[in-house]
Amino acid sequence: MSSLSASKTSRTRESAVSIKSLVLVYKTTLDRRPTLRNRLGRLARRQRQTRIVHAVRDLTLDIPYGQVTGIIGSNGAGKSTLMRVISGILPPTSGRVEVFGKVSTLLSLGVGFNNKLTGRENVYLGGLAAGMSRDQIDEKFDSIVEFSGLDEVIDAPMRTYSSGMQSRLAFSVAASLDPDILIIDEALSTGDARFKVKSIERIRQMKGDDRALIVVSHALKVLREICDEVIWMDKGRMVKRGDPFEVIKAYRNFSQVGSSPETDEDF
Amino acid sequence: MSSSQQDIARKPVAVYQPFRHGLPSLREYLTSLWRRRDFVFEYARADLHQKQYGTVLGQLWLILTPLILAGIYYLLLIIIGVKGGATRFGHLTGTLFLFYLVTNSITSGAKSVTSGSKLVLNSAFPRLVLPIAETLIALMRFLPTMIVLLGIHIALGIPFTLHMLWVPVILLLVLFFALSCAIIAATVNVYFRDAQNLLPYLSRTLLYLSPVLYTSAMLDERLNFLTVINPLFPLLDSWSAIMIEGRAPLMSDLLLGLGWTLALFSLGSYIFLTREREFAVRI
Repeated sequence: MSSLSASKTSRTRESAVSIKSLVLVYKTTLDRRPTLRNRLGRLARRQRQTRIVHAVRDLTLDIPYGQVTGIIGSNGAGKSTLMRVISGILPPTSGRVEVFGKVSTLLSLGVGFNNKLTGRENVYLGGLAAGMSRDQIDEKFDSIVEFSGLDEVIDAPMRTYSSGMQSRLAFSVAASLDPDILIIDEALSTGDARFKVKSIERIRQMKGDDRALIVVSHALKVLREICDEVIWMDKGRMVKRGDPFEVIKAYRNFSQVGSSPETDEDF
Repeated sequence: MSSSQQDIARKPVAVYQPFRHGLPSLREYLTSLWRRRDFVFEYARADLHQKQYGTVLGQLWLILTPLILAGIYYLLLIIIGVKGGATRFGHLTGTLFLFYLVTNSITSGAKSVTSGSKLVLNSAFPRLVLPIAETLIALMRFLPTMIVLLGIHIALGIPFTLHMLWVPVILLLVLFFALSCAIIAATVNVYFRDAQNLLPYLSRTLLYLSPVLYTSAMLDERLNFLTVINPLFPLLDSWSAIMIEGRAPLMSDLLLGLGWTLALFSLGSYIFLTREREFAVRI
């Protein structure tokens, strides 16, 4: 991987993702599980049917290559939604997002959309859905399994995996697909200590390979260690951006929590 | 880096802009859909494998289940005094098997988007692959039952004539009809999760309105409108004509079936494609 990118011209500091005046507003139901019954009930009681969510409000942002960018913020700050816009899963309401490379996503739900299927089948289906060809997945498959350390259970149904095993597989897939831009959204919280060290190493290596890494996490200590820059988001806006130490300190002061095992929590 | 090199490097791989209401660029969508064809096959293969339909015993069940059902319905017909016979049983079995291709596709197609929520929330891909994959699974489950249908065809002593060439045509029309219904059901289910509770009743009603337990010839004249308002009617009628009666289907039936299928497919894909971009915030 390193030898491949070494031959390329360095693109460090060039923009990987360019976001201009991004606004994302969506309508969602008030009920957790939208049903015809609830809908008719609300209609009869003349209650509102939907609520408007302002997930991202006028965000302009450039994320460069060759660095790890951390994104922090309280729940509902719009972090995950922003990641979905960059990945092309949600269209912007207004504004424009330009992506200058192949994106691989490791969003909060990880790999494995069907627990009844085996790890192998889920890896193939995830890759094929993302638009890869079977040959491309064949080529990467062994290294994915090797990195995850799951070679003994790869042909067992995913429902037999522990949550740690699932996230190991998810990280291995995302990191092995050779993306230019890797987005990791709260997906690593359950791996064991050894795997955590291994994945942090891989993140550093990818950064050295001139890739762009975007890490959304509540694990402030780890972010401070691995990020070159941290962005703090709140209510859909960027509050502060810059040196990880400074931004995390400001965020902690704002949330009125000091450094504690809970806020440092594992990656 | 020279400025020209920089220009090349600065060309974005993807640009995401606001999506105005209406259809996405169909050309791009279809290209992207075609690129996912391996996904559809792999999904179907993995699903059938997981349900053990890859084994001989599994395939046997695929044949036995609808056959037992056909036996039960045949019994019902005899009890209520319909004249039995090999042709009656043949018609019942042949049309019932095809009918189940449609309802299997609708039932699993309805859940395709909501149960694939992890994938929908995590990857950008044309969502239409999900109901398409479910319809393919329904087809794969139907194909082994063709052996029984051919057996009946032989047992009834119907010669293999050129009319048999209509079989793939009817099958294709039925498949598109099934896909159209699956697409509509999948969209409705995203917005109303309890809608799938109605499916068993709807499919039962469709069964009774279709020429499965009876033939179109047995239909009271006052009920003739059923042959026009039920899209499956002309298709099942044609199927029975070829498989059981050994004659060519009526051109009027074929045209009616084609018209219905095209209309439903256009309507279904329009609803799905105009809505699919917000599925990720609705599931």
